[in-house]
Amino acid sequence: MSDEQTSSVEEMPVTRSEAPPPPPTAAPSDGPILEVHGLTKRFGGLVANRGIDFDIPRGSIVSIIGPNGAGKTTLFNQLTGVYAPSEGTVTFEGTSLVGLAPHQVAELGIARTYQNIRLFQNMSVIANVLVGRHVRMKAQWFQAILNLRSVREEEERSRERARELLKLVGLRRRYEEELAKNLPYGDQRRLELARALANEPKLLLLDEPTAGMNPGETRQMTDLIAQLRRELSLTILLIEHDMKVVMGVSERITVLDYGEKIAEGLPEQIRANPRVIEAYLGKQAATS
Amino acid sequence: MPAMTISAWLRRAARLGVVAGVALIYLSLVGLVGAFEERDVVTDVLKLGTLMLAAVAVIAGYRAALPPKTAAAPPGVMRLAAGVLAGTVAGAFVGALLLLAATPIDLQTVFVRLNAALIAFLSFDAESPVVGAALQIGLNAVLGGVGAVLVLLPDRFRRPLVFATLAVALVSMAEPYVRPRLDQLDMDPIADFLYSGHGLTVAASVVVFVLVTAVAVAWAPARSQVDRRLAVLPAERRRSVRFTSFILIGLLVLALPLITGQFISQVLVLVGLYLLLALGLNIVVGYAGLLDLGYVAFFAVGAYLMAILTSADGPLGAPMVAIAGEQGAFFVALPIVMVGAALTGLMIGAPVLRLRGDYLAIVTLGFGEIARILFLSDALEPWLGGVQGIIGIPSPLPQRVDFALGPIEISWSGPQVIFYPIVLFCLLAAVVAYRLAGSRVGRAWNAMREDEEVAEITGVNTVNYKLLAFAMGAGLGCLSGALFAIQLGSVFPGSFNVLVSITVLAIIILGGMGSIPGVILGALVLIGLPELLREFAEYRLLVYGGVLVAMMLLRPEGLIPNRGRQRELHEQDDEDEQYAHEAGEDVAKPVVA
Repeated sequence: MSDEQTSSVEEMPVTRSEAPPPPPTAAPSDGPILEVHGLTKRFGGLVANRGIDFDIPRGSIVSIIGPNGAGKTTLFNQLTGVYAPSEGTVTFEGTSLVGLAPHQVAELGIARTYQNIRLFQNMSVIANVLVGRHVRMKAQWFQAILNLRSVREEEERSRERARELLKLVGLRRRYEEELAKNLPYGDQRRLELARALANEPKLLLLDEPTAGMNPGETRQMTDLIAQLRRELSLTILLIEHDMKVVMGVSERITVLDYGEKIAEGLPEQIRANPRVIEAYLGKQAATS
Repeated sequence: MPAMTISAWLRRAARLGVVAGVALIYLSLVGLVGAFEERDVVTDVLKLGTLMLAAVAVIAGYRAALPPKTAAAPPGVMRLAAGVLAGTVAGAFVGALLLLAATPIDLQTVFVRLNAALIAFLSFDAESPVVGAALQIGLNAVLGGVGAVLVLLPDRFRRPLVFATLAVALVSMAEPYVRPRLDQLDMDPIADFLYSGHGLTVAASVVVFVLVTAVAVAWAPARSQVDRRLAVLPAERRRSVRFTSFILIGLLVLALPLITGQFISQVLVLVGLYLLLALGLNIVVGYAGLLDLGYVAFFAVGAYLMAILTSADGPLGAPMVAIAGEQGAFFVALPIVMVGAALTGLMIGAPVLRLRGDYLAIVTLGFGEIARILFLSDALEPWLGGVQGIIGIPSPLPQRVDFALGPIEISWSGPQVIFYPIVLFCLLAAVVAYRLAGSRVGRAWNAMREDEEVAEITGVNTVNYKLLAFAMGAGLGCLSGALFAIQLGSVFPGSFNVLVSITVLAIIILGGMGSIPGVILGALVLIGLPELLREFAEYRLLVYGGVLVAMMLLRPEGLIPNRGRQRELHEQDDEDEQYAHEAGEDVAKPVVA
């Protein structure tokens, strides 16, 4: 993507296609959008997450960091319903997510991207985004067979919305009918983001959104994340390794190590926290 | 791109020659050549067996001369040389076989088809095996060269030549069916001109070849001109043009049974039944990616349910006939059959929800067999008739339809009548499949096929959509079974073996997974052609296997891949906007939903 397109994206006023959620200040509960208490996940004898507590304030960008194997992705999988927690609670806008199937979690408005890009490879770009919109569409099989007016209209609206999202993340119009697998790497990441956004999520989970990107692309993605939060009134939970991204974009940071939360706070606090430095660089670095 | 070295290029050609040589020997020893030997394509000039062997060498030469994918194409001479080399190597294999057969070693005890007739055929009746071998090498070298020349020819010549050759072969093979039909229609002179009794006459071959070549040569420029004219028409007119062409094709299809007569109508009925099955299985395998090898179960359920509901011989004593009479029973029973089959689909789908890929294939294969054995079983004999099956299924269709329009009298009978409902149901099934494919439902299935876990996290209820795919597939498959039942008037468990499942799957793979035009072509090729080529019968499965392997290697996406569909659907999208975007103009447009 060219820089020119990025700037064009920022100028665009973005509105949500369906009833826009009230602005964060007027939300029914100004409390956290997601509350996690005592979350524990065991695989046999291995404890991947142990008693994790954290909240995500509505409208914020929160990052989870930690060395490889710290349990970050396991945490994501519990938030999206892929794994059932062994213990603990996850509450999203007052609704418990424990025991829900992943598609039910998606319906509530939680969407995610993946560390290793996982697009629907042999589907077109626009079809990928439309699958993301699946939960916001209603057409049933018999309605589709009859090709009812409501189905056609819904389809048209959804395509329109999908095009807007593709434009928002900076994908070129002529890629629309291209198969997802034929896109360049950076564009595949953008497409994954567009697919997640098509859900019209309240909470967006990003798993290393800048993995494998060069510094220029990373900067564009960071800008895009900040812009999305601003314009779509999203709450974003981020897993990231790139400290520049984490420090630049997030308001709060939670640090995991060996499945436990070892620190939580503002970026500056985390930067100075000896336990964090120890987890990342070893004991010597922390004491010296 | 760097050019390949000469030795690498020739090694590649020789490798292809080895493959072709093995194929030639295989075709000869397995008996296919012998089976086709009796049949002339062109009377006393070209035998079908010769054509088949020649095709192998030509294809080898063609592929050897194709430019490599990863390097620059060598000069024309080198490509011609590669074709000749591939043919020579292939011929050497046959030559070696001939020499080996001339030694005292008794090969025929193992290769029973390697008899004197085959050897005489392969050595062109030459007395000495050495001469025969030399002839084989020389001829195959020439044929390889012909293949290479085909590559070097521009598209507009190559296609017509290939088409014309295929057309001559097809017209010739159709003799046993076309000739009697022409006689019936009082067109004996045409019949006598075309056929000698065992193959096309020489004159007719030339006419067919020239005619098809001329049409094909004229076709490409004519077509592009039509396309250009169409493109400038307004959308409204374009739609009416398309509508008209649909009507014309429709009329042609409707007239087919009348033109072609009883036997070919019977073949078309069979093609239609398999097409209906393939459209149903395409939903399960092509759209949802669930490899179901037990699809025959739904075919059987459709047929048996129809039999039970409408046959006086059945256990219920034809309840539907009591309600709606012999003519109406089918229509009253059909919705019940479809619901019943869809429920069977759910029953088979539910236990295999957690299985994927190979495991799913094996379990469904088992289900298909269980179904067949249940229909065969003694325990269920009071209801399903065991080996005897159920007979006396009334047909809603008349045996014969006569129609007089002034002096012209037209009559349909037997397969010519049932052809029409089958076409109607195929059309319905195709529309259902097409609409589902382009909808939220079809996309959810595709997403599941691509990555089930991500589909679920993205919001697709994968359990429900899997069951839906099984139920929809079953619902369409049972239609074929119900039509099969009324066509035969009886059902027997023997009709529902695993080969049906495999054949239907082969149709989908050959045509192109998820592609409706592909499935239609696949059914015509795999069901229609073998019926025309009765010599095939014994080798049908061998040919199916060969076709599937070749497809997987050369063209895994099928003959008519499922692509460009979305484009087709949205051709009215103003291209202007796209170009404007490229120029950076639509930036100013507000994005409002």
